[in-house]
Amino acid sequence: MNPFEKIFNYQLLSRLQDGGAAMVTSHERSWLKSMLAHPAAEEAFLPETLDKLRDMLREEPVVDWTPHLLHKAASKEKMVYHPHIRTIRRAIHACSALRIAYSVKSGGSNAHENAIPFKLEYSMVKREWYLLWYDSRKSMLMNTRLSKLAEVSEKPCDPERFARCTAQAKAYLVSRRAEAVIAVVPAYNEELSRILYAFSCFEREVSFDEERDEYRIKLYFSLNEQEYVLSKARFLGKRIRIVENDRLIARMKQTVSWALQRYGVDEGATE
Amino acid sequence: MARESFDKEIQFLRMLALTSGAYSRQQYAEKLGISVHTFDKMMKRLREIASSSLNGRDGAAEQRDMAELLRFSYLDSSDPLLLFLFRAKSLKESESERLSILLGAMKEGAKTAMELLDACSEAMPPELALPDEKTIRGDLKYLEGVGVITREPGPRPYRYALWDRFAGLLAEDELLDVHDYACMMANTQLPSVQGYLLRDMMSKLLTRDRGFDAESLDVFRYKYHYYSRILDEAHLFPLFEAIEGRCYVSFRYFSPKKETSYSSRNTNPLFEREAGGNRERVLPLKIVYDHQYGRWYLLGWGARHGIKKYRLEGVTDLSVGDAADADSWNEKLGLLEQRIRHSWLVDTGRKTLVRARFYKPGPSIPDFVRERVLQQGQWGVITEEDEISFLYEIEVNGIIEIKPWLRSFGSSCEVLEPARLREEMIAEWKELREYYESL
Repeated sequence: MNPFEKIFNYQLLSRLQDGGAAMVTSHERSWLKSMLAHPAAEEAFLPETLDKLRDMLREEPVVDWTPHLLHKAASKEKMVYHPHIRTIRRAIHACSALRIAYSVKSGGSNAHENAIPFKLEYSMVKREWYLLWYDSRKSMLMNTRLSKLAEVSEKPCDPERFARCTAQAKAYLVSRRAEAVIAVVPAYNEELSRILYAFSCFEREVSFDEERDEYRIKLYFSLNEQEYVLSKARFLGKRIRIVENDRLIARMKQTVSWALQRYGVDEGATE
Repeated sequence: MARESFDKEIQFLRMLALTSGAYSRQQYAEKLGISVHTFDKMMKRLREIASSSLNGRDGAAEQRDMAELLRFSYLDSSDPLLLFLFRAKSLKESESERLSILLGAMKEGAKTAMELLDACSEAMPPELALPDEKTIRGDLKYLEGVGVITREPGPRPYRYALWDRFAGLLAEDELLDVHDYACMMANTQLPSVQGYLLRDMMSKLLTRDRGFDAESLDVFRYKYHYYSRILDEAHLFPLFEAIEGRCYVSFRYFSPKKETSYSSRNTNPLFEREAGGNRERVLPLKIVYDHQYGRWYLLGWGARHGIKKYRLEGVTDLSVGDAADADSWNEKLGLLEQRIRHSWLVDTGRKTLVRARFYKPGPSIPDFVRERVLQQGQWGVITEEDEISFLYEIEVNGIIEIKPWLRSFGSSCEVLEPARLREEMIAEWKELREYYESL
């Protein structure tokens, strides 16, 4: 399978788009056939759809890459699909509200009669799905693990209200944006590629100061992602320094001091 | 004809994606080992492909700087912008016109080669050359080869039809399920390029023919993705096929640690690849994807060095050669499997027992430390546990690769063994203390 087929050419694709023909190559079909072997397929499709697909793809050749591909340092895959996804994604499409009941971290449970679904989000770190929904009573965008959702059902919603809540959800996300500047310690510039890869899962801008031979990475993230940014900073250790974002800097100082205390080295540490 | 190579585009896009805006045009050109003129030309071409692939979703794409475009691709979309690399195969205007006419004609129903020749002759714009029968037969052979069309059973003259079973046999709701599944699997599993291409096609079927709007299709977001990983998938399938066939491969290797990743004569607007990089001949045995950094490795066996590891991003100009005999291949694979069994990533160094104490966040706080250790700690085990802490043990090759992970827990992790790792951790925390004290 050569991924650079001329059939994927961008000009051809836009001509086809105008002409109304849609094409699926055997590359994509074999890929799908392989992916249907994943247990998630049983949940993602209704049984009759899965039968139809398997029948349609019966003759496609399959490249079985699984024995040749090793995954290292991956988080264990908790889920790829969750049965609530079908209901929720259709509710978003139909501009419907949701009636939901979910358990909370501290124990106990909550229910909401009029949750406005916004997006379904998968974390590659936690390896599970979250529902982002707007709570108009609290004017907040909520984040609930699908695994904690005990009940979900669709209920009609006034289209204007749905549009208004969606706009508010977007505005909420914008209001929760944070930034930090990370400087690569010039002595570790040789490891730049590794450092840049480590931050490549964030939206970012890189700048280079030729005089100081220093790279700076400006990260853009959401306030609720601070802990993850911190764990990345600790991950890279002495190769980088957080130079802008007071809150993160204070947290790093605290971590350093506590970590040294753990090792019984607390001389000069600031509490 | 030589196969069109995309090595330069891959290097180019990786550089842009990783450094997003760090350098000026001159500096980029220098780092890539190309002239500024070539840099500008490539930028122009990629911008053109990108804006066309985005289907007008981002009308300002053409005006924007490429690096900025890559930066903005993060926000709300689960669509990897770098996918346009795989849309870059060049095609003459007459050929793309002809293929689209052929596919359009077959959409109406099965046709013979002669009927298709007529359809083409009628619809081709006057400024483009009219195809002859041989050309059409060549096109049909190609399209059949990539599975876009099928030859219907029956006597000559053969009739050809578009493979459109998805659109023809699936209801709207089922198409939506296929779209969603392709989206989820492309984003959470490997390899993913074909999945993204399929998702794009399903999305076209749904928006164009079934009245879906693009925004309501786009309900999924994927966080913490190493999206530049798809650039390396360019070499993935040839390598899988080589492994499957136990074949040697040969490539020019540019170590990512070096200053310039791509070498050419600066004065030459074409990429002259003869200078720089080492030609390697290797028996590929395994491909490794490192989830910690989103990087790919090729592990193989070479006559000179035995087991060898390559970063896939440094592999260019790849070609597949002769097959090795089965016994020797199995022996090498066995050796490799044994050496990497305890690699946190790909280290084949000496096996070491690492013991660390992890501290729980405190009473009545959900134990996210334990949860994370269980999820990410690979084959390590928790051996002792009480209300305050637990002990984690793992045998790994060397201590270099596991160290960042242990350190990422901050004060929740105390390394106990080996003594060297414990000392290194203390030294690093002290160094960090110095950094932050000055702020």
